[in-house]
Amino acid sequence: MSAISDIGDKTGAALAASVKWAAGIIDPPLRWLQKKAGFNGMAAFFLAPNMLIFGIFILVPMVINFAYSMTGGGALFLPDRVFVGGDQYGRLLTCSDYSRPITCTEDQFWIAVRNTAIFVVVQVGLMIVLALTTALVLNKSLRARSFWRAVFFFPVLLSPVVVGLIWRWILQRQGLLNYILFQFGIEPTVWLTDRFWAFVAAVGVSIWAHMGFYALILLAGLQAIPKDLYEAAEMDGTRPARVFWRITLPLLGPNLLVVLVLALIRAVQIFDEVFVLTGGGPGTSTLFITQYIYEIGFASVLRNPGLAAAASILMGAVLVVLTLIQLGVGRRKDPKEAAK
Amino acid sequence: MSQITLTGVGKSFGAVQVLRNIDLDIKDGEFAVFVGPSGCGKSTLLRLIAGLDTPTLGDIRIDNADVTRTPAADRGLAMVFQSYALYPHMSVKQNLAFGLENSRMPKAEIEERITEAARMLEIGPYLDRRPGQLSGGQRQRVAIGRAIVRNPVAFLLDEPLSNLDAELRVSMRAELAALHKRLKTTMIYVTHDQIEAMTLADRIVVLRDGRIEQVGAPLELYNKPANRFVAGFIGAPNMNFLPAKVEEPGGEGFFADVLGESRQAVRANAAAVRADQPITLGIRPQHLRLARENEDGVEVEVNLVEALGSETVVHTTAGNGDPVLAVLQGQRPFNAGDRITLGLDPENLHAFDETGLRLQGN
Repeated sequence: MSAISDIGDKTGAALAASVKWAAGIIDPPLRWLQKKAGFNGMAAFFLAPNMLIFGIFILVPMVINFAYSMTGGGALFLPDRVFVGGDQYGRLLTCSDYSRPITCTEDQFWIAVRNTAIFVVVQVGLMIVLALTTALVLNKSLRARSFWRAVFFFPVLLSPVVVGLIWRWILQRQGLLNYILFQFGIEPTVWLTDRFWAFVAAVGVSIWAHMGFYALILLAGLQAIPKDLYEAAEMDGTRPARVFWRITLPLLGPNLLVVLVLALIRAVQIFDEVFVLTGGGPGTSTLFITQYIYEIGFASVLRNPGLAAAASILMGAVLVVLTLIQLGVGRRKDPKEAAK
Repeated sequence: MSQITLTGVGKSFGAVQVLRNIDLDIKDGEFAVFVGPSGCGKSTLLRLIAGLDTPTLGDIRIDNADVTRTPAADRGLAMVFQSYALYPHMSVKQNLAFGLENSRMPKAEIEERITEAARMLEIGPYLDRRPGQLSGGQRQRVAIGRAIVRNPVAFLLDEPLSNLDAELRVSMRAELAALHKRLKTTMIYVTHDQIEAMTLADRIVVLRDGRIEQVGAPLELYNKPANRFVAGFIGAPNMNFLPAKVEEPGGEGFFADVLGESRQAVRANAAAVRADQPITLGIRPQHLRLARENEDGVEVEVNLVEALGSETVVHTTAGNGDPVLAVLQGQRPFNAGDRITLGLDPENLHAFDETGLRLQGN
């Protein structure tokens, strides 16, 4: 034991010495900089690396994307493209009857918008209910709780392409599900080539892939609710349903809002796992907005990067508006905010 | 009527035995205080009475009805938690009403009870505020109010003042005492603060390692501690303990040789001791005084002097190296390193045998 603690002491001392040495080297230039730049200047200095990465990989591409959306033609490089102003937006938004995508200039865009809207409502709604239920169950003192938590979180670790492939093998005509159904004497179904079942599969698979992450956020929220409150409710003779609606749910509000915002953004952006699973089909039944952008910008024969850029700008704008609305609503309802 | 009786109550969490063989009878209208060091099981005992935990052994009766397996809500008790446990998203009024709404009480009656509790606790102006907008003391009152509106057969209070600052704690203590006087309801109060226990309790229950060490009125515990633990725990500052040896016993007590340097008369049952038996003598710091000329006292060396004006707290070391604290009346011009002799009066001496038990008749 003493030998181990000796090694520990020596390692600790060596680490401390090296940190001290490194600090000794960077201390003089930082002191000089602080003298020159002042306190606020130092804050900017430390933020600079992050801002630089944000600028290069997010801000600049956004600006370039916006620039692309104002251009037309099939050329890939911006200087080779023709400035068309808001024509791409006009093309995307022109419809004689907005309830019938077929009447729109870009009917595929509107089909994708409609599919995405339905997908978002169904998938986000179902996923939040399931994630909350999972979190509530995992929060109980059940046997092998850590194992079950890992089981529910595991799909989150998988690449979306892997998720898509796994479920394609399960759901295809001669897949695992049909094999099992056949063993029980049930007629196999063409899950991925039926318009309704393909959409259901897209919703189900995306829930399976992401629910664990949201359940984990909600579980953290549940664990942050003081046990005393539940004991006080128990002393008051509160029924379990009332405890859930009057105590758990209001206090979980901020976490639910985070989950709602994240799940909504992710649902609007849904692409890879569904693309691998159904390819957007059958027909356009699982064509979502990101796949539309990808196909119009890169995959179709007559590619139109300007139109794809305009569609992505519109999608981004819708997401920003939705998020702001949610945050505004959340701020009004947050018990902690309201208590201030 | 709300008498609470515990018989042979024990509680284990896995292999860890937290409470052992607790026999206790809390009388109707009594203010009982559970006191003891951290981890002694006092909060667990309160939770067993509340119904938030179930005992592993024994039974709990309220007004002679066995409630050992009765759900917390059906015991008719109300609890005030250390953290207050107020619902942060509800207003004070909603907090007070929540429990009553559960029992489907008519709205008019709920309103009446809230108004009465608010008047009693002077929280009327805060009824529409949320707990986050209240001070610690106001939250504490709301927590008590939530218990009062339920009209319980007994109040259970789990260290309710521990989150308050010292000044507020003193005033809330007085308010709690007044409230008990007014309501005349049984109260069980858990604290690790022996001053709270001494000032509030009709009876104190001292716990250690899951066992009851002594039950009695505050002054009974102070004057006649059943063992060395209670003697050291009750009273501030702590009692001093000096090793001693019984000299020839006889008559109304015996003489004890203290530290091999002083001969002291001890009033105790002489038949309970034998010659040369090692014992411990306890004396409270307030009962020490400077020895008179030629008096056989205990010589100590002064380490630190705290002059408080009306009294002087002197930290000293006895000949065997044990610390001895003396609270001397008036102002004493001692310095560190001074050697002084402290006088012991037989009526203030507590004698404990080798196992720490009080020697009878002392």
